[in-house]
Amino acid sequence: MIPTHYFLILSAILFTIGVMGVLTRKNGITIFMCIELMVNAVNLTFLAYARQFHDVHGVIFVFFIMAIAAAEAAVGLAIFISLFHHRDTIDVDEANLMHW
Amino acid sequence: MEYAIFFVFAAIAVVFALLVVLHRNPVVGALSLVASFFALAVMYVLLEAPFLAALQIIVYAGAIMVLFLFVIMLLNLQHMAEPATRPVQQFLSYTSSAAFAIGLIYYLLKYAVFEALPSGFFAADARTVGIRMFEAYVFPFEMVSILLLAAIVGALTLSGRMTGSREKVPAPEQPGVEAR
Repeated sequence: MIPTHYFLILSAILFTIGVMGVLTRKNGITIFMCIELMVNAVNLTFLAYARQFHDVHGVIFVFFIMAIAAAEAAVGLAIFISLFHHRDTIDVDEANLMHW
Repeated sequence: MEYAIFFVFAAIAVVFALLVVLHRNPVVGALSLVASFFALAVMYVLLEAPFLAALQIIVYAGAIMVLFLFVIMLLNLQHMAEPATRPVQQFLSYTSSAAFAIGLIYYLLKYAVFEALPSGFFAADARTVGIRMFEAYVFPFEMVSILLLAAIVGALTLSGRMTGSREKVPAPEQPGVEAR
């Protein structure tokens, strides 16, 4: 059995890679993929603690997080399509106005 | 053996996650993220949650990332050059995220190292998860279905299929002439 903190450290590394991507990249969809990476890192933490404490509630939480990530992906990508139709770019630095 | 599987797939997950961040082409990024999610599904199997490993592959790698790929290809982004990030922003991002990682791992090793796993059988298979979910989480489960419905309507509205707001060209000058 692999100890829990191995998974926690892997999760921390993946989360940091996601943070790095959000901070450095300008392509909106890449930033969105980095957010998905961070969500997955948190899922890994939930499952590691669920096994550590023998508690199924952590697993159920991950199930709900997956459903919400699907909804978030649908709405977020629709926002980027709309932005692309208005601006011909998905560079997030270009999207600095609340209206157009 | 278990450790070998863990380290191999942890390395795969980290390398492909780095490829998402560092590669300029978003198609390569999306496919790398799929590979990273597959490696995470192996982690879920190691954590005795086979049901969620299957969900990870079906929902994340199969549905969400395909949606990402469709949007990237629909917008034809692979030929669009991404402007370079300012050096000062890049420097600050790398240093702050490195500091964040070091702090996170330090405190994990200080406070989150457990002596041993509790004994006894634990498996979060579909049966266990389903029974516990419909005992205590029926209401959130229904709320998630409503949330997904709202997301469908929101996505349709935002992408302009319902209102016809996709028109980027201005209205023609001559009155009485339809744009379409």
